[in-house]
Amino acid sequence: MRRLLLGLALASLPAVAALAHHGWGSYDAAKPVTVAGPIETLKYENPHATLTVKAADKVWTVTLAPVSRMQARGAPPELVAVGKTVSAYGYPSTVEKDEMRAERITVDGKTVEMR
Amino acid sequence: MMPAVLAEAPQLLIALEQSGLATAIRQSTWAYPAANVGHILALTVFAGAVTVMDARLLGAFAAAPPASVVRPARRAAMLGLLAMLATGFVLFAAEASHVAMNRVFQIKMALVGLGVLNAVLVGRALVAALDGMPAFAPMPARIRLAAFASLAIWLSVAACGRLIAYF
Repeated sequence: MRRLLLGLALASLPAVAALAHHGWGSYDAAKPVTVAGPIETLKYENPHATLTVKAADKVWTVTLAPVSRMQARGAPPELVAVGKTVSAYGYPSTVEKDEMRAERITVDGKTVEMR
Repeated sequence: MMPAVLAEAPQLLIALEQSGLATAIRQSTWAYPAANVGHILALTVFAGAVTVMDARLLGAFAAAPPASVVRPARRAAMLGLLAMLATGFVLFAAEASHVAMNRVFQIKMALVGLGVLNAVLVGRALVAALDGMPAFAPMPARIRLAAFASLAIWLSVAACGRLIAYF
Protein backbone atom coordinates (compact mmCIF):
# COMPACT_ATOMS: atom_id res chain seq x y z
CA MET A 1 0.00 0.00 0.00
CA ARG A 2 2.67 2.52 1.05
CA ARG A 3 4.86 1.54 -1.87
CA LEU A 4 1.90 1.96 -4.22
CA LEU A 5 1.09 5.46 -2.97
CA LEU A 6 4.75 6.46 -3.15
CA GLY A 7 4.94 5.18 -6.73
CA LEU A 8 1.84 7.15 -7.72
CA ALA A 9 3.20 10.28 -6.05
CA LEU A 10 6.49 9.92 -7.92
CA ALA A 11 4.65 9.33 -11.20
CA SER A 12 2.89 12.70 -10.82
CA LEU A 13 6.13 14.64 -10.20
CA PRO A 14 6.88 15.63 -13.82
CA ALA A 15 3.59 17.56 -13.92
CA VAL A 16 4.61 19.49 -10.80
CA ALA A 17 8.05 20.32 -12.19
CA ALA A 18 6.43 21.64 -15.38
CA LEU A 19 4.52 24.26 -13.34
CA ALA A 20 7.62 26.43 -13.16
CA HIS A 21 7.49 27.55 -16.78
CA HIS A 22 3.88 27.70 -17.78
CA GLY A 23 3.23 28.19 -21.43
CA TRP A 24 6.69 29.23 -22.68
CA GLY A 25 7.51 25.78 -24.06
CA SER A 26 6.17 26.34 -27.57
CA TYR A 27 8.31 29.46 -28.17
CA ASP A 28 11.85 29.37 -29.54
CA ALA A 29 14.01 31.21 -27.01
CA ALA A 30 17.07 30.58 -29.20
CA LYS A 31 15.71 32.93 -31.88
CA PRO A 32 14.60 36.12 -30.12
CA VAL A 33 12.94 38.75 -32.30
CA THR A 34 12.07 42.39 -31.82
CA VAL A 35 8.74 43.32 -33.37
CA ALA A 36 8.31 47.06 -33.78
CA GLY A 37 5.51 49.04 -35.38
CA PRO A 38 2.03 50.44 -34.91
CA ILE A 39 -0.54 48.44 -32.92
CA GLU A 40 -3.34 47.38 -35.27
CA THR A 41 -5.58 45.46 -32.86
CA LEU A 42 -5.68 44.94 -29.10
CA LYS A 43 -7.39 42.17 -27.18
CA TYR A 44 -7.06 43.07 -23.52
CA GLU A 45 -8.37 39.68 -22.42
CA ASN A 46 -7.53 36.62 -20.34
CA PRO A 47 -5.74 34.27 -20.30
CA HIS A 48 -3.29 36.56 -22.17
CA ALA A 49 -3.64 39.97 -23.77
CA THR A 50 -2.69 39.98 -27.46
CA LEU A 51 -1.76 42.63 -30.00
CA THR A 52 -1.36 42.57 -33.72
CA VAL A 53 1.55 44.74 -34.75
CA LYS A 54 2.36 45.89 -38.28
CA ALA A 55 6.11 45.38 -38.38
CA ALA A 56 8.37 46.01 -41.37
CA ASP A 57 8.28 42.36 -42.49
CA LYS A 58 4.71 41.30 -41.67
CA VAL A 59 1.84 41.60 -39.22
CA TRP A 60 2.76 39.81 -36.00
CA THR A 61 0.46 38.52 -33.31
CA VAL A 62 2.16 39.46 -30.06
CA THR A 63 1.11 37.50 -26.98
CA LEU A 64 1.46 39.49 -23.76
CA ALA A 65 0.69 38.65 -20.11
CA PRO A 66 -2.56 37.92 -18.22
CA VAL A 67 -4.70 41.04 -17.73
CA SER A 68 -4.17 41.35 -13.96
CA ARG A 69 -0.38 41.18 -14.37
CA MET A 70 -0.44 43.79 -17.14
CA GLN A 71 -2.36 46.12 -14.84
CA ALA A 72 -0.14 45.41 -11.84
CA ARG A 73 2.97 46.26 -13.86
CA GLY A 74 1.64 49.49 -15.26
CA ALA A 75 0.40 48.39 -18.67
CA PRO A 76 -3.34 49.25 -18.68
CA PRO A 77 -5.26 49.03 -21.98
CA GLU A 78 -4.56 52.73 -22.66
CA LEU A 79 -0.80 52.06 -22.78
CA VAL A 80 -1.15 49.48 -25.56
CA ALA A 81 -4.02 51.18 -27.41
CA VAL A 82 -4.53 50.76 -31.15
CA GLY A 83 -2.42 53.25 -33.11
CA LYS A 84 0.43 53.46 -30.60
CA THR A 85 3.91 52.34 -31.59
CA VAL A 86 5.23 49.36 -29.68
CA SER A 87 8.51 47.52 -29.60
CA ALA A 88 8.17 43.95 -28.35
CA TYR A 89 11.16 41.73 -27.59
CA GLY A 90 10.31 38.05 -27.41
CA TYR A 91 10.34 34.64 -29.00
CA PRO A 92 8.58 33.31 -32.10
CA SER A 93 6.04 30.53 -31.71
CA THR A 94 7.07 27.11 -32.94
CA VAL A 95 3.38 26.27 -33.47
CA GLU A 96 1.42 29.33 -34.61
CA LYS A 97 2.54 31.20 -37.72
CA ASP A 98 3.53 34.87 -37.22
CA GLU A 99 2.95 34.72 -33.46
CA MET A 100 5.47 35.67 -30.82
CA ARG A 101 5.43 35.82 -27.04
CA ALA A 102 6.78 39.05 -25.61
CA GLU A 103 9.35 38.98 -22.84
CA ARG A 104 9.04 42.75 -22.53
CA ILE A 105 7.42 45.59 -24.41
CA THR A 106 8.32 49.26 -24.75
CA VAL A 107 5.62 51.88 -25.41
CA ASP A 108 5.90 55.66 -24.88
CA GLY A 109 9.45 55.16 -23.60
CA LYS A 110 8.15 52.83 -20.87
CA THR A 111 9.38 49.22 -20.69
CA VAL A 112 7.17 46.60 -19.04
CA GLU A 113 8.23 43.04 -18.27
CA MET A 114 5.68 40.40 -19.29
CA ARG A 115 7.11 37.35 -17.49
CA MET B 1 -2.82 32.26 -27.46
CA MET B 2 -4.00 33.31 -30.89
CA PRO B 3 -6.72 35.94 -30.94
CA ALA B 4 -8.85 34.13 -33.50
CA VAL B 5 -10.84 30.96 -32.99
CA LEU B 6 -9.46 27.75 -34.38
CA ALA B 7 -11.44 27.16 -37.56
CA GLU B 8 -11.14 23.36 -37.53
CA ALA B 9 -12.87 23.10 -34.14
CA PRO B 10 -16.52 21.94 -34.02
CA GLN B 11 -19.03 24.73 -34.80
CA LEU B 12 -20.68 24.35 -31.40
CA LEU B 13 -17.40 25.09 -29.59
CA ILE B 14 -16.59 28.04 -31.86
CA ALA B 15 -20.05 29.40 -31.00
CA LEU B 16 -19.32 28.83 -27.29
CA GLU B 17 -16.02 30.72 -27.51
CA GLN B 18 -17.72 33.59 -29.34
CA SER B 19 -20.69 33.70 -26.95
CA GLY B 20 -21.35 36.67 -24.68
CA LEU B 21 -20.58 34.53 -21.64
CA ALA B 22 -17.14 33.46 -22.90
CA THR B 23 -16.34 37.02 -23.98
CA ALA B 24 -17.30 38.28 -20.52
CA ILE B 25 -15.00 35.67 -18.94
CA ARG B 26 -12.07 36.79 -21.12
CA GLN B 27 -12.69 40.49 -20.61
CA SER B 28 -13.09 40.28 -16.85
CA THR B 29 -9.84 40.85 -14.97
CA TRP B 30 -10.65 38.31 -12.26
CA ALA B 31 -13.11 35.72 -13.65
CA TYR B 32 -10.42 33.63 -15.36
CA PRO B 33 -7.83 33.66 -12.53
CA ALA B 34 -10.63 33.09 -9.98
CA ALA B 35 -11.85 30.04 -11.91
CA ASN B 36 -8.24 28.86 -12.15
CA VAL B 37 -7.76 29.12 -8.37
CA GLY B 38 -11.18 27.55 -7.78
CA HIS B 39 -10.31 24.66 -10.07
CA ILE B 40 -7.16 23.87 -8.08
CA LEU B 41 -8.91 24.24 -4.70
CA ALA B 42 -11.67 21.91 -5.90
CA LEU B 43 -8.94 19.52 -7.07
CA THR B 44 -7.43 19.36 -3.59
CA VAL B 45 -10.86 18.47 -2.11
CA PHE B 46 -11.55 15.95 -4.86
CA ALA B 47 -8.12 14.32 -4.90
CA GLY B 48 -7.99 14.18 -1.10
CA ALA B 49 -11.40 12.51 -0.87
CA VAL B 50 -10.65 10.08 -3.70
CA THR B 51 -7.31 9.13 -2.18
CA VAL B 52 -8.83 8.47 1.28
CA MET B 53 -11.66 6.46 -0.29
CA ASP B 54 -9.46 4.39 -2.56
CA ALA B 55 -6.80 3.90 0.12
CA ARG B 56 -9.47 2.39 2.42
CA LEU B 57 -10.69 0.15 -0.41
CA LEU B 58 -7.09 -0.96 -1.01
CA GLY B 59 -6.79 -1.95 2.66
CA ALA B 60 -5.41 1.13 4.45
CA PHE B 61 -7.02 2.49 7.68
CA ALA B 62 -8.17 -1.09 8.33
CA ALA B 63 -9.25 -0.31 11.91
CA ALA B 64 -12.19 1.73 10.56
CA PRO B 65 -15.19 -0.18 9.15
CA PRO B 66 -14.94 0.46 5.38
CA ALA B 67 -18.37 2.03 4.89
CA SER B 68 -17.64 4.59 7.66
CA VAL B 69 -14.71 5.92 5.59
CA VAL B 70 -15.85 5.31 2.04
CA ARG B 71 -19.36 6.79 2.19
CA PRO B 72 -18.45 10.27 3.50
CA ALA B 73 -15.32 10.36 1.33
CA ARG B 74 -17.42 9.52 -1.71
CA ARG B 75 -19.81 12.40 -0.95
CA ALA B 76 -16.89 14.83 -0.58
CA ALA B 77 -15.46 13.57 -3.86
CA MET B 78 -18.79 14.18 -5.62
CA LEU B 79 -18.87 17.77 -4.30
CA GLY B 80 -15.26 18.31 -5.38
CA LEU B 81 -16.03 16.90 -8.83
CA LEU B 82 -19.04 19.22 -9.27
CA ALA B 83 -16.89 22.22 -8.31
CA MET B 84 -14.23 21.06 -10.77
CA LEU B 85 -16.81 20.79 -13.57
CA ALA B 86 -18.17 24.29 -12.86
CA THR B 87 -14.77 26.00 -12.68
CA GLY B 88 -13.41 23.89 -15.53
CA PHE B 89 -16.27 25.01 -17.75
CA VAL B 90 -15.32 28.67 -17.19
CA LEU B 91 -11.70 27.97 -18.17
CA PHE B 92 -12.81 25.91 -21.17
CA ALA B 93 -15.38 28.39 -22.49
CA ALA B 94 -12.81 31.21 -22.66
CA GLU B 95 -10.78 29.39 -25.33
CA ALA B 96 -13.00 26.46 -26.28
CA SER B 97 -11.92 26.08 -29.91
CA HIS B 98 -8.21 25.88 -29.06
CA VAL B 99 -8.52 23.74 -25.94
CA ALA B 100 -10.90 21.26 -27.57
CA MET B 101 -8.36 20.52 -30.32
CA ASN B 102 -5.54 20.04 -27.79
CA ARG B 103 -4.54 16.36 -27.75
CA VAL B 104 -3.81 16.30 -24.01
CA PHE B 105 -7.18 17.91 -23.25
CA GLN B 106 -8.91 15.25 -25.38
CA ILE B 107 -7.10 12.51 -23.46
CA LYS B 108 -8.04 14.20 -20.19
CA MET B 109 -11.73 14.31 -21.09
CA ALA B 110 -11.70 10.66 -22.14
CA LEU B 111 -10.13 9.79 -18.78
CA VAL B 112 -12.71 11.90 -16.91
CA GLY B 113 -15.43 9.93 -18.71
CA LEU B 114 -13.73 6.68 -17.75
CA GLY B 115 -13.33 7.82 -14.13
CA VAL B 116 -16.98 8.85 -13.81
CA LEU B 117 -18.07 5.57 -15.42
CA ASN B 118 -15.91 3.61 -12.97
CA ALA B 119 -17.27 5.61 -10.02
CA VAL B 120 -20.92 5.32 -11.02
CA LEU B 121 -21.20 1.84 -12.53
CA VAL B 122 -18.54 -0.13 -10.66
CA GLY B 123 -18.18 2.06 -7.57
CA ARG B 124 -21.85 2.27 -6.62
CA ALA B 125 -22.33 -1.52 -6.58
CA LEU B 126 -19.11 -2.02 -4.63
CA VAL B 127 -19.94 0.59 -2.02
CA ALA B 128 -23.29 -1.10 -1.42
CA ALA B 129 -21.36 -4.31 -0.72
CA LEU B 130 -19.40 -2.53 2.03
CA ASP B 131 -22.42 -2.06 4.31
CA GLY B 132 -22.04 -4.15 7.42
CA MET B 133 -18.48 -5.15 6.56
CA PRO B 134 -16.50 -5.00 9.84
CA ALA B 135 -13.13 -3.38 10.53
CA PHE B 136 -10.11 -5.45 9.44
CA ALA B 137 -12.20 -7.51 6.98
CA PRO B 138 -10.06 -8.38 3.95
CA MET B 139 -11.08 -6.47 0.82
CA PRO B 140 -12.25 -8.62 -2.11
CA ALA B 141 -9.97 -8.46 -5.16
CA ARG B 142 -12.62 -6.83 -7.39
CA ILE B 143 -12.95 -3.94 -4.92
CA ARG B 144 -9.18 -3.44 -4.76
CA LEU B 145 -9.01 -3.51 -8.55
CA ALA B 146 -11.72 -0.84 -8.92
CA ALA B 147 -9.99 1.33 -6.29
CA PHE B 148 -6.66 1.00 -8.05
CA ALA B 149 -8.28 1.90 -11.38
CA SER B 150 -9.91 4.93 -9.76
CA LEU B 151 -6.60 6.21 -8.33
CA ALA B 152 -4.73 5.61 -11.57
CA ILE B 153 -7.41 7.32 -13.68
CA TRP B 154 -7.81 10.41 -11.49
CA LEU B 155 -4.08 10.97 -10.99
CA SER B 156 -3.68 10.73 -14.77
CA VAL B 157 -6.48 13.27 -15.19
CA ALA B 158 -4.64 15.67 -12.86
CA ALA B 159 -1.37 15.20 -14.75
CA CYS B 160 -3.10 15.78 -18.11
CA GLY B 161 -4.76 18.92 -16.76
CA ARG B 162 -1.40 20.37 -15.83
CA LEU B 163 0.11 19.40 -19.17
CA ILE B 164 -2.50 21.00 -21.47
CA ALA B 165 -0.50 24.25 -21.50
CA TYR B 166 2.59 22.50 -22.90
CA PHE B 167 1.13 20.81 -25.97
